Amino acid sequence: MSDNILQKLLKPSARGKVWWVFACIMVLVLVTSLVDFGGYYNKAVDKFKIPFPKVKEVPFRLGLDLLGGTQLTYQADVSAIATADKSNAVEGVRDVIERRINIFGVSEPNVQINRTSGGDYRIIVELAGIKDVKQAIKMIGETPLLEFKEQNTEIRQVTAQETTQLNDFNKTAEKQATEVLGKVLSGGDFKALATAYSQDEKTKAAGGDLGYITEKDNPEIYNLAKNIPVGKTSADLGKVTNGYEIIKVEDKRVKTNAFSNTEEKEVKASHLLICFTGTTGCESGLSKEEALEKINKLKSRATINNFKDLINQNSTEPAARESNGELGWFGAGAMVQSFEDAVFKQAVGVISGPVETEFGFHLIYKQAERKVEEIKASHIFIKIMTEADIVGSQSEWKNTELTGKNLKSATVEFNPQDGSPEVSLAFDDEGAKMFEDITGRNIGKPVAIYLDGYPISTPNVNEKIPGGKAVISGKFNITEAKLLSQRLNAGALPVPIELVNQQTIGASLGQQSVNDSMKAGLIGFIIIAIFMILFYRLPGLMAVLALMVYSLIVFAIFKIGFSMAALLLVGIFLLIGITVNGWFILFSFISYILLYFIGGLSPVTLTLAGLAGAIVSVGMAVDANILIFARMKEEIANGKPLTSAIEDGFKRAWPSIRDSNFNTLITCFILIMFTTSAVKGFAITLGLGVIISMFTAIFITRNFLNLIPSAWLEKRHSLITSVKSSENK
Amino acid sequence: MTNFKIIQKRNIWLSIAAALFVVFTISLFVWGLKFGIDFTGGSLLEVKFLGTRPSVGQIEAGLADLKLNSLTIQPIGEQDVMLKFQQTSEEIHQAALSKLNELAKKENKDNSIEEQRFESVGPSIGQELKIKSLWAIFFALIAMLAYITYAFRKVSKPVASWKYGSAAIIAMFHDVVITMGIFAFLGHFYGVEINTAFVAAVLTVLGYSVHDTIVVFDRLRENLPKSNEDFEGTVNTSLNQTLVRSLNTSLTVLLVLLAIIIFGGASIRTFVLALAIGIFFGTYSSIFIASPILVVWERWGKK
Repeated sequence: MSDNILQKLLKPSARGKVWWVFACIMVLVLVTSLVDFGGYYNKAVDKFKIPFPKVKEVPFRLGLDLLGGTQLTYQADVSAIATADKSNAVEGVRDVIERRINIFGVSEPNVQINRTSGGDYRIIVELAGIKDVKQAIKMIGETPLLEFKEQNTEIRQVTAQETTQLNDFNKTAEKQATEVLGKVLSGGDFKALATAYSQDEKTKAAGGDLGYITEKDNPEIYNLAKNIPVGKTSADLGKVTNGYEIIKVEDKRVKTNAFSNTEEKEVKASHLLICFTGTTGCESGLSKEEALEKINKLKSRATINNFKDLINQNSTEPAARESNGELGWFGAGAMVQSFEDAVFKQAVGVISGPVETEFGFHLIYKQAERKVEEIKASHIFIKIMTEADIVGSQSEWKNTELTGKNLKSATVEFNPQDGSPEVSLAFDDEGAKMFEDITGRNIGKPVAIYLDGYPISTPNVNEKIPGGKAVISGKFNITEAKLLSQRLNAGALPVPIELVNQQTIGASLGQQSVNDSMKAGLIGFIIIAIFMILFYRLPGLMAVLALMVYSLIVFAIFKIGFSMAALLLVGIFLLIGITVNGWFILFSFISYILLYFIGGLSPVTLTLAGLAGAIVSVGMAVDANILIFARMKEEIANGKPLTSAIEDGFKRAWPSIRDSNFNTLITCFILIMFTTSAVKGFAITLGLGVIISMFTAIFITRNFLNLIPSAWLEKRHSLITSVKSSENK
Repeated sequence: MTNFKIIQKRNIWLSIAAALFVVFTISLFVWGLKFGIDFTGGSLLEVKFLGTRPSVGQIEAGLADLKLNSLTIQPIGEQDVMLKFQQTSEEIHQAALSKLNELAKKENKDNSIEEQRFESVGPSIGQELKIKSLWAIFFALIAMLAYITYAFRKVSKPVASWKYGSAAIIAMFHDVVITMGIFAFLGHFYGVEINTAFVAAVLTVLGYSVHDTIVVFDRLRENLPKSNEDFEGTVNTSLNQTLVRSLNTSLTVLLVLLAIIIFGGASIRTFVLALAIGIFFGTYSSIFIASPILVVWERWGKK
């Protein structure tokens, strides 16, 4: 036994082999610990300045019930769709929802399709860490409204008599409004007065409460309310388009984003663009390197004073000369992501270095930044009569039969004459026919394209247009054109959806659950450890050590991930490894690592039920050890020598461990197949736990026990059992 | 090894099991399970009152306008209140939240509420879940019966291998019915509702019960070919040989579950309680029901 070390390593004896396996297990422990505690390791490396490489920190993927967030389940109504197209339509819904959420920048939204056994299609939307669910629901259900309008030829004029009537009415209205204002100013209860006098039917019952409004929501009221201090009411009558307003301001605050929970900001900026071949709509002919060189040169010359001139001379943005590259005030979500990220981070009054986006390189001059303010206001509204009230709500424009429903796709194109960006619309067959009719009957007249109720383009029709293509040209820059086409494409939902299930967990409740589970797991572990060591002594201790390895592996797998393929491959190899030949255990790890590198794994989403599954599987893991040790004691009692008793304990206990665990795996498998979300999470972690526990309880415990020289152990029987073997000694 | 005469006294054990089974079957049928919103459809709203919490009566009065169907209000912990009602629409949800906020403000202007949890389940989903759960249980049964029949194919004498499976499943049925019966009782007297997690617990109990029985049967499988006792004696010996292990395993699992019940937070308590009850009876049934049934069956075969 005292040969030189090299020989020992190359030609391992039976004991040498045990040490080899032990070394492999230690490597496994090291790797899994690095995965589990990567963050602490990196901190330690930093703190003590140890020259070790850092590891990649892998976080746990927590489910919504632990993280806090919302899960929305929508049912897609596919009854009107042919069977073959159903899944396509639902995928369309998912894409639309995904794009709508992406516009608002939720971190890692998760949108899945779930086909139920009853043949229904569900779309499950998971939004982590979201604060304002109401807005999310609104946003997901919202459809951009695209309308095509033509001139209304039947406008009726108001007669002289009607004008007198109108003026009389409005005088009365003004008088009444002044009276109400008087009551407000003399200290009357605003709410009661609103309920009594306000002619805004929507808010009247609620004491005139408008909620929080921003300038975008309601510019007229916002501008009146802006000058009123919090807690005060209007000092005089406010005049708006269709009536008089008496406003009470209850609160002013900075608007926070519903998703990121940060204050919403707007910036004012101008930019200089140098595009290069390969970016959207670029005709400069510059390569990326040339473009970068050019923009770096411009940057070195640029000052706040000459920036406008530089834009005029150099910017490749088609409309730059007219706009001087001015983008005006804009908020989050208006620009492409990379541009937005840069401009929001940038300091005010500074010109940025080159920022790369899908359009090319930009220099951005951030002129100003402001917070978006919102005001909580109540109002009393007294209506006046306008001409529209008399002649009916007739507008200059009237709807045509063509709407966004007939839109097939929208793309950004560039005007061949002046290179300005345009959004080109392609209609489906029905839409093409309608568009041809509309243009046919409006030759020489304008046709308006309305988006969400506002005209975005009112081109003159020169001739009848067949072929189902229309172009929205106009005052937008590339970014706006791009956003518009995105919105239109994200566009209408292919089928109606209905919110059937909603689950929201507050972040603090989630954190509470994590803490509780951790505590429960730890206490459970300690109880088991005490029990095992008291009852089974040395083998019990080894089992507890193996159980620690088990915990390390399980949590590492939760982090790195697993898949059905991994479950099968690793499971089969482990099984062969435990029963036939230990080398297969190596195979199972190699196949798992291989799957990791080819991306065949996805992290396990930990839910509350999942954590419970993990804790329960600790209990199951111990069962294998109890079976083995009970058998071991029995064999010793039957008079077998210690070493062969240990050997037999493992061997004889195996069939029952196999059959009983296999049975639990069957249950898990069926749970995974037939259930959703919470229960599935439980089954996955329990199943993983069972497989890994078989490995640790049998293979690792055995290795640990084998490390102890049998001769030494033979003299210390009491380390294993108090039962004295009858013969043999 | 212990040496209790378990099989010889099988009539006592089977009678106890039968009595318990009958009692809890009656409880199950008379009271029925109290289904939670996961199954019935409806909404669950938990809010935290930052400041003083209004009384249940005040909340009920405050929400009267909304005409919530089958509204229940339950205070939780120090500051929280849990509401359950039938309606599931988002408008009702928002309206309820703003009413609760008003209530909080009434006491003191600075008070407010924080939404902790909201779940709404459409009625169709609930129905679907019931059907799905039943299918899951059904398939689990078939799969386990098939596996046991296969695993015990070599010991088909003197008892056919499918009878091992059947005995295990009868024992399991006993565990599941008793667990459900106890929850029917808890539901009736303490308002404990069952949810999706309960189904998971029942399925786990199902798996565990069979798991436990297999360990005993496995010993029987090993002993039968070399035993010189009769079938009854061999079963009894096998039972005694595995008794300590059965008790130890159940004890460790129950200890862990107890730790979760005490320290693990309210939301999974029902789930863990169901597990603990099921596992307790699972241990009983694997020792005192499954094996005695095998012996009874063998006796009948001889006649």
